[in-house]
Amino acid sequence: MGLIERGRLPKPLTTLFNLGRSYSMWVYQWGLACCAIEMGAAFGSPRYDVMRLGVIPLPASPRQADLVVISGTVTDKMAPSIRRLWEQMPEPKYVISMGSCANCGGPYWDSYSVTKGVDQIIPVDVYVPGCPPRPEALLEGIVLLQERIKTEDMARKWRGEDGFGPAPRGEPIVVD
Amino acid sequence: MSRLSSTDAPAAPAVDELRQGVLARMQASLGDALAGSHLIPGDDLWMRVRADAWVAAGEFVRDQLGCDYFCFLSAIDWMPSPYGKGEDDPTEPPPERSTETVPGYAGGDTRMQVFARVYSTKQRFGLTLKADVADDAPHIASWTPVYAGANWHEREAWEMFGITFDGHPNLTHIYLPGDFEGHPLRKDFPLLARMVKPWPGIVDVEPMPGGEETGEAE
Repeated sequence: MGLIERGRLPKPLTTLFNLGRSYSMWVYQWGLACCAIEMGAAFGSPRYDVMRLGVIPLPASPRQADLVVISGTVTDKMAPSIRRLWEQMPEPKYVISMGSCANCGGPYWDSYSVTKGVDQIIPVDVYVPGCPPRPEALLEGIVLLQERIKTEDMARKWRGEDGFGPAPRGEPIVVD
Repeated sequence: MSRLSSTDAPAAPAVDELRQGVLARMQASLGDALAGSHLIPGDDLWMRVRADAWVAAGEFVRDQLGCDYFCFLSAIDWMPSPYGKGEDDPTEPPPERSTETVPGYAGGDTRMQVFARVYSTKQRFGLTLKADVADDAPHIASWTPVYAGANWHEREAWEMFGITFDGHPNLTHIYLPGDFEGHPLRKDFPLLARMVKPWPGIVDVEPMPGGEETGEAE
């Protein structure tokens, strides 16, 4: 794949790669509070059947994951672990912040120990509001993320023009 | 156990031989060190001991009274919060508040108390032990040698209230990050977020469906 290393990629190949990436999303489940139960219900139950969307919620480690769902209350004590988890994930990587707590602190907005939003630690691609969100809302967030991935120009990313890591990665998606 | 769910339960007996016996044995063992007590017949028993008898009281209830189950150990800060409920308008001068410290059951002389709950699974009764701790540099002997389960509870009380437990094997942070400053469950620990923005639920700004749009709570 010399073309990719030189930062050039024919458009049909980009489309093909993006299609493959968006429909084989290995999702790491980072459940921190009650939203973890809701995430388990949305990802693990046959009722919602996320695998039909091309979501595989069973990576053995963050090093095999494309996407992490931060679901639940992020505390200051947990924050370094989340940063480390995110740093272990290989690029291209995506983050969904699930629920009010992970979005902004939620009901714990005045707490002495809660981080007011996981986006203070890692860049977030999709915000799913709710306390907790409906499973449909979480799936909607994944579908919107897949749509974004399908239009991404990976060659630009590789050339560093779209930014890997904590660099700006476009406007975050808010599920509403 | 109080019977909260049933209204036709038999009335609690006026004389509670079990708990009064426990109290009498405690009194005989500790003497002056038993500083106060409160008994609700058929329901519960509170006993306050001097801080220097804290370990002796623990060993007595464990060995002599058969309280084999340690429920929890924690602390109470009886000082009224100087910030109220954090619901004041920050643009107004703070309202006058009572600063009088009112102790709970079994009394108290100090601002902070350490208390623990133990239970006898054989005789089916529980009791709450309390001890006053000094206002400045509060400290008390550790219960870890008495009930091993007190270890983590004391670590929590240490970081939340700043009470030192003498003889504790590993008095380090348990819930808070290691560099956390302050003791968040003390009443004079300010919730800075509420200093800036009072709790928005004070006023129900959204009118009820079909109600008048006054913007005020009823």
